[in-house]
Amino acid sequence: MLSRLSTGGLLLASLLLTACSEEPSATAEPAYDEARARLVIDHYADMALAAYSDALSEARELRGQIDTLLTDPNEETLAAARQAWRDARAPYMQTEVFRFGNVVVDEWEGQVNAWPLDEGLIDYVDDNYQAVMGNPGARGNIIASQSLKIGEQQLDLSELTPELLASLNELGGSEANVATGYHAIEFLLWGQDLNGTDAGAGERPATDFATGNDATGGHNERRRDYLKVVADLLISDLEAMVAEWQPNQDNYRAELVADSVENGLRKMLFGMGSLSLGELAGERMKVALAAHSPEDEHDCFSDNTHFSHFYNGKGIENVYLGEYQRVDGETLSGPSLSDLVAASEPQLDDRLKADLNASEAALQTLVDSAANGVHFDQLIAPGNAEGAATVNRAIDALVEQTASIEKAALVLDIQALNPDTANHSF
Amino acid sequence: MRSVVLLLLVVALAACSNPREEVAKQLANQVLLPAHEQWHASNTALLDSSRAWCADEQAMEDLKRVFHETQTAWARLQPLMVGPLAEGNRSWQVQFWPDKRNMVARQTEALLDEFGDLDQQQLDGASVVVQGLTAFEYVLFDDKVAIADNRERYCPLLVGIARHQQALSAEVVDLWRQPGGMLEQLTRFPNDRYASADEALGGILRVQVTGVDTLKKKLGTPMGRHNNGVPQPYQAEAWRSRHSAENLLASVEGAQAVWERIRTLVGDAQLAGDIDAAYKTVRDKLAALPAPLMEMVQDKASQPQLQSLYADLDALENLQQTDLARQLGIQIGFNANDGD
Repeated sequence: MLSRLSTGGLLLASLLLTACSEEPSATAEPAYDEARARLVIDHYADMALAAYSDALSEARELRGQIDTLLTDPNEETLAAARQAWRDARAPYMQTEVFRFGNVVVDEWEGQVNAWPLDEGLIDYVDDNYQAVMGNPGARGNIIASQSLKIGEQQLDLSELTPELLASLNELGGSEANVATGYHAIEFLLWGQDLNGTDAGAGERPATDFATGNDATGGHNERRRDYLKVVADLLISDLEAMVAEWQPNQDNYRAELVADSVENGLRKMLFGMGSLSLGELAGERMKVALAAHSPEDEHDCFSDNTHFSHFYNGKGIENVYLGEYQRVDGETLSGPSLSDLVAASEPQLDDRLKADLNASEAALQTLVDSAANGVHFDQLIAPGNAEGAATVNRAIDALVEQTASIEKAALVLDIQALNPDTANHSF
Repeated sequence: MRSVVLLLLVVALAACSNPREEVAKQLANQVLLPAHEQWHASNTALLDSSRAWCADEQAMEDLKRVFHETQTAWARLQPLMVGPLAEGNRSWQVQFWPDKRNMVARQTEALLDEFGDLDQQQLDGASVVVQGLTAFEYVLFDDKVAIADNRERYCPLLVGIARHQQALSAEVVDLWRQPGGMLEQLTRFPNDRYASADEALGGILRVQVTGVDTLKKKLGTPMGRHNNGVPQPYQAEAWRSRHSAENLLASVEGAQAVWERIRTLVGDAQLAGDIDAAYKTVRDKLAALPAPLMEMVQDKASQPQLQSLYADLDALENLQQTDLARQLGIQIGFNANDGD
């Protein structure tokens, strides 16, 4: 009897000693099958190619609608152009998960989706417009100006070209000076949203693009030129990014697939986690909510923010599951991070999938709310406790899924998540 | 017989004395909780001082000094902000930075225009922008406010902010001290928050590394590192009170207090020495800054000095985020600055 008990105690003691061992137990088996992981990375690149190609084709649709608007500016053609912009956002927002981690995207992105902007750089604004403190270009009004003086520098604006507009980004060193990309087009199509946290988006009249007697806004030929040029630039930028993801070319994709599997997986996970936590939950939702600040809303002119957030979330899910539904309805499906995680820890895979589902459902409530007439900028209004709760649920779901993404990274033996510093040594 | 088993268990547990558990306990009891309590005490002092100044019983200089002490306590706490204060929007209520569009001025004035005789409930229900130290600083230091001539307008807000901060820190300290609270969760494992001391230590280190990363942002943003090198003086933290560098130094000291305890777990003497040296370099350089940060970033001659400080902060971050994390086998994970 005694001996049995003491054996039990000894067993317990040895278990405890094992539990407090300092060294992490060495796993004999590798965290994943390397050949399989290579296929996952290659499929990731295929998804990026498909998503950027969709963003490009939708941008070309938008360009066509802009032509129609400029040929015959009226409320219908303006509405059609606005709808084309919204449609173009759906695939683009799903590409943002590729931005963090892939330097080629992050460095390119500023010209395409920079935000929030001091829109007074581009066109006329309301008297109550609030710009970034110390921004010398905040009221530059490129459309109304043939030249612009910033400090000692005199800029010739007489001819609006893609190169000129691109060069005006971050004018005078202010990141709020955004002359190009989706949000510049958004501002031109909608105008400022002067409703604060009340209902309603920007209400630019179609006559701002008219050239006859009914023209409003002033400098309309310049505004028309600006819109065409900035849409052309968006298309050429997207063409360049599509080219980076084509297979078997001398491009970024070639670098990615030639690099170590570990680095490839790290980039995938870093993109998911950074978008989920710092960018979407933080910069794009929490800042706007905590400060009740509609100027920190992502699509602040069009009030399309709910869809932007939803498709950002969808992009994170796409990368984990290896699935992307193209704009033509076809689904691209292939080897995934989920497969790799499930192979060694199926419970964690289930957990992360459940987290992704939960965040999708929480982001869907933002979309439903907008469909019922309550948009993101109304949800963040002071005193709107129910709205705040809706946004907070989405934030919390993203925070929770980020914790599972970290655990998935550990399962794949990735401790340092940031590709910029992962290989840093002194 | 039972006692024999118990004895064996006790021996086993004593033999275990997991050094990581020991360090987590020390950090919780001797570094983290005291820093929260110090912050709470500074808020109490700020409330007393605000009331006294508004009753004309104290000089403005004294109120400003007490305010600086509150800023310092808060700055020191930031790299130690594990648990309740980091949850919900509690920390956002303390400070709003960066404030590129001068939201603090707009929202403060709009609030006071709307509520002539501001009460606590109105302030507690308002935006985080007007509830914290950033709004307090605006009232005390912004030329447009001219506080000395506008006591009546601004005093309800000053006292209201101090009271809001004091209530917030009281709540947070309570969440630490209550049964099953943060202190217990850092000292008894497993619990709802941490499965093991390893996880707790990982959580503490992650917050501390993020704190150092945030310091790079607080220095680099006004330097113009995200703006093609064009200085952004109004994006310096605490630019109105010219307290930016003091805040940075206090945060580094907070981070170092965590390092001092974790140091005992590091077997690699070379690495430990490198991290010690990195802290010393950063602190020395911060202490030696000759002028307020918002002025230095606008002065061309000061650029090399600021650049070298930034490089040292970067080196410190990398030593901890990469080498130290690897040495301890701890994943640092994502932080709110990823994605900027």
